[in-house]
Amino acid sequence: MKVSLKWLNQFVKVDDIDPEVLASKMTFAGVEVEEVLTLAKATGLTIGHIIECEEHPNSDHLHVLKVDEGKYGIHQIVCGAPNARKGLKVIVAKEGAVLPEVTIVKSTIRGVESDGMCCALYELGVDKKYLSEKQVSGIEELPEDAPVGIDNVLEYLGLDDSILDLKLLANRSDMNAMENVAREVGALLNRPVSFPTYKVEGKFKSEYTVASKTQKCPLFGMREIKGIKTKPSPKWMQEILTAEGVRSINNVVDIGNFVMLLTGQPLNMYDADKLPAKELVAVDDVEGPFVAMDDKTYNLEKNDLLISSGGEGMCLGGIMTSKACEVDENTTHVLLEAAVFNGASIRRTSNRLGLASESSARFVKGINPDQNEYVMEVTCALLKDLCEATAASETVIYDTLNHDKKVVNTSLSYINGRLGTNFSMEEVVEVLSRDHLAPVVDGDSITVGIPPYRIDMKEGCDVSEEVIRLLGFENITSRLPASNPEVKGGYTPKQLNKQAVRRFLRYSGLSECLTYSLIDEKHKDSFCYLDNGENYVLMNPLTDDRKVLRKNTLYSLLSVASYNIAHQEKDLAIFEISDVDSKAKASTHLSIVLAGISHERGDLVKKPYDFYDAKGLVEGILSLLGIKENRYRIARIDTDKAEFHPGRSAAIYVGRDLVGVMGELHPAALKEFGLGKSCVGVELDLNYLLDLKVGQDKASIPPRFPSMSRDLALVIGKGVNYADIKNDIKKTDRLVENVSVFDVYEGEHIGAGKKSLAISISFRSADKTLTDPEVSSVMDKIISALRIKYNAEVRS
Amino acid sequence: MASAIERVLEIREKALKEIEEAKNLEGLAVIKNIYLAKKSELTSLMGLMRELSQEEKGAFGKAINDAKQAIQDRWAKKAQEMEAKKLQEQLEKEAIDITLPGKEMKAGHINPYYIVIDEVSDIFASMGFEIVEGRDVETDHYNFELLNVPKDHPARDMQDTFYINENQLMRTQTSAAQAHTMIKNEGKKPIKMICPGKCYRRDDDDMTHSHEFGQIEGLVVDKNVSLADLKGTLEMFVKKMFGEKREIRLRSSYFPFTEPSVEVDVSCAKCDGKGCAMCKGTGWIEILGAGEVHPNVLRMCGYDPEVYSGFAFGVGIERVAMLRYGVDDIRRFYQNDIRFIKDFNKN
Repeated sequence: MKVSLKWLNQFVKVDDIDPEVLASKMTFAGVEVEEVLTLAKATGLTIGHIIECEEHPNSDHLHVLKVDEGKYGIHQIVCGAPNARKGLKVIVAKEGAVLPEVTIVKSTIRGVESDGMCCALYELGVDKKYLSEKQVSGIEELPEDAPVGIDNVLEYLGLDDSILDLKLLANRSDMNAMENVAREVGALLNRPVSFPTYKVEGKFKSEYTVASKTQKCPLFGMREIKGIKTKPSPKWMQEILTAEGVRSINNVVDIGNFVMLLTGQPLNMYDADKLPAKELVAVDDVEGPFVAMDDKTYNLEKNDLLISSGGEGMCLGGIMTSKACEVDENTTHVLLEAAVFNGASIRRTSNRLGLASESSARFVKGINPDQNEYVMEVTCALLKDLCEATAASETVIYDTLNHDKKVVNTSLSYINGRLGTNFSMEEVVEVLSRDHLAPVVDGDSITVGIPPYRIDMKEGCDVSEEVIRLLGFENITSRLPASNPEVKGGYTPKQLNKQAVRRFLRYSGLSECLTYSLIDEKHKDSFCYLDNGENYVLMNPLTDDRKVLRKNTLYSLLSVASYNIAHQEKDLAIFEISDVDSKAKASTHLSIVLAGISHERGDLVKKPYDFYDAKGLVEGILSLLGIKENRYRIARIDTDKAEFHPGRSAAIYVGRDLVGVMGELHPAALKEFGLGKSCVGVELDLNYLLDLKVGQDKASIPPRFPSMSRDLALVIGKGVNYADIKNDIKKTDRLVENVSVFDVYEGEHIGAGKKSLAISISFRSADKTLTDPEVSSVMDKIISALRIKYNAEVRS
Repeated sequence: MASAIERVLEIREKALKEIEEAKNLEGLAVIKNIYLAKKSELTSLMGLMRELSQEEKGAFGKAINDAKQAIQDRWAKKAQEMEAKKLQEQLEKEAIDITLPGKEMKAGHINPYYIVIDEVSDIFASMGFEIVEGRDVETDHYNFELLNVPKDHPARDMQDTFYINENQLMRTQTSAAQAHTMIKNEGKKPIKMICPGKCYRRDDDDMTHSHEFGQIEGLVVDKNVSLADLKGTLEMFVKKMFGEKREIRLRSSYFPFTEPSVEVDVSCAKCDGKGCAMCKGTGWIEILGAGEVHPNVLRMCGYDPEVYSGFAFGVGIERVAMLRYGVDDIRRFYQNDIRFIKDFNKN
């Protein structure tokens, strides 16, 4: 909504206040002024009379004018406007005049002296969108009676105005009406507000009827007006409309717009003589084509609100009139419609057809349902006054609304309690009175009457808002909420563990990333191992790239790696923790990507990331979370997808639950993502791991007796897992305390398909110091067991 | 007798001289063998004792023992010196270029999005708030209905919300988690919570808009909770988050779930409220939306608005990060260009 301060000043005095100050007051009270605009900005203007107009000797389009500027004398001006001609009254910017784009100086144009400039309105700063084509293509043509030589040209033109551009919040639809803006400003400044009264005498009874067959139109008011003459609007109305950012068309159309701006009630006018029947009916069950006044055909669907006559669609309710009954310059007989339409319905239709207007916007936000009669009276009075209408009918109305006055009961203690203030009853009553809420006090209780335009106000909390927004939030003294032992507060152990995992990874040199949860359909199953449920898919995506909610995160993180590698950042260690969802489950996943080279000492010591880097991080996380080695196991990933390297990747299980995958990427995946030669990926079901019950830490007493250690070299089949050997050795005898591998060798010194493991075994007894023969006997058992089970060749 | 003592002194002088002239530890070992071994000449001179008188025995014995002691002491001293020198030489030889790269133990970096989430969470956790994380997929009921955004409210437009089906959607605000908590409490327990997380809106991505963005919304519900409690809480938060000198001011605003609603401006940290490019010359920066919980929300979530009241607030994560770190484009948070992330550290 644009608010012309000149127009506003007709209802409440504001011409003694700096527009910026007013704007700031309104903004703090919840009516945000986005910008304070001036209609035009120019100094050094006067009005001139062209007394001579000659062709410029050295140009095919310039004119040389002699302009009589009254008390400022006669000046020669070179002018390029095609409409410059002898006898015309024009706006002249004199030497030294400052216009938005230019400062006027005496100059010589193609050899002819020019002293001043004849102006178009846009050259004074008026936005071209308010001007006609003619006004834009030439200089402004002033009426014949324009006073030559005056100084206050902007005032004469009605351009000496400032405009407040309001950015309206959803609850203040009432601010779409100038009358209500005046009431708001009156309340804010504590100043009286007054409006002119309109009265139409001698109304006749119309033969036309109105009806509604849908709840989407609960109120339909109509008046019939005869004997209208279409012509340009008077200057005062044109000026107001220009200031409001509405283009003046003709007196009839302009009155419709003017009344809407004044009252907030959208109006529609039908050429009565073009209607097929003497009725207007609101319906919502028509389908098919509708030719609107913009000459375009729109396809109606069921539930679109339509005003019909004789079964034919006459108006797309609240949005646009049909071509068939449009008011034009020959119209003399008009039906005026002032209705209440359901905002949601208008919004749906308007969005679907891409048709929005000032009218539809007002219906969508909600209008005052109680001012129908008043609005039509104002309109008819103006039509009689400005369009020479000969007669206006009484109102014909269909009305199912309850127009009882709304009342809210509240109390001083409730208001102060909500606000945390100590306002006195006098202060509250004073502010509610100037807010037009007519408070009635009874002890602590306050009853207010809600003005019909305040459709946002329903209960006590709304009244408390009026009090504080008008008195100012600086009246609130800060305090902190009392603490309540029922709220524990702080992080949960699970949240602390999650933070610990993030810190562990960052301290291990990985960087924490954030990626979109919405991905494209093509990759919805990429690197999906932990959750194979059905993806959530958006009904109304904006783009195909962001259509599916991911259920795993590794794909997204690989895309981050691929982006960075494409930008010459080839060595990366990154991770992300994110919530994931599918129709099967909701969880939180951790993914890790290690790409390129691990720089252990800059470029001096480096190696490509490999499987064991990933495994180390995963084991680190598990140990951090207190998940002991015996709680999980790793196995090869059971898949035929070419995503992980089949021989260099692993799945992690807790019991029978798959809780993670990790490994080097398959060459095909490296290629697809542009990931270079080496890249390792990990994805863990972090939520599962965080929820896993783990035993409490407890102290272990250092052993009393010393341990003994023996080494063992085995040659076994390449496919034998170290973990199996280790488990078997441990199981052989309870004296075995620990088993560790210290060398792995494959190569020419041992046979093909074989590998050699060097293993160190430590022995300890809880009861005594072990002797050589005791340990040797266990070693013998171990060696023979390994020989039998793995056909191992044992070298000691 | 005199010649015997002379011989002792002679040996002593010779030995001391040889020790002095020894070139290395090996030479020193040879000297030790000659003069200090069991069968050394000094030891053999002891044989003469038998022939001496009681008186002379004393003097001769002393001379031999003195000589032995002197050689022993000098030898030990010399050996120690030589060992020290040898160690010194070894250490010098072992010196390395200390300017070569060390083992890389540097901590990784962090997307600034998380710095803001963590800091805000820490502040509110320290003020006794619980941190509740909801889910990204929500129902219409929890995301809108319970928060006083009824059907047909413009905010529920298909234009603005990603729907999965008629009932499910991508949450547009984390306050959906607040509704869950209120319902779970069955209208009894007081609440003090924040919910950080990702939200989704049907916005085209550009420099300041993102279809995914982070939000932290807070809620306090108890008896006698007023706008004054909100103002105090946010003041404390702002000072902890943006610095002791920061102040706030409230402007009337509108949100469906609060009444009264306010926008909260923070005095500009860059110019200290004097007005600069960052605050567009106003001295203030809009940071939070907040308000007193609408009675409808309490009612619908099972709390009696006659008994309980509350306040709620929300802050955009990227917006705070953008202001604080001078990030020009919201898309950077989701791009994870490592050259961008490298600037951010957190312990």
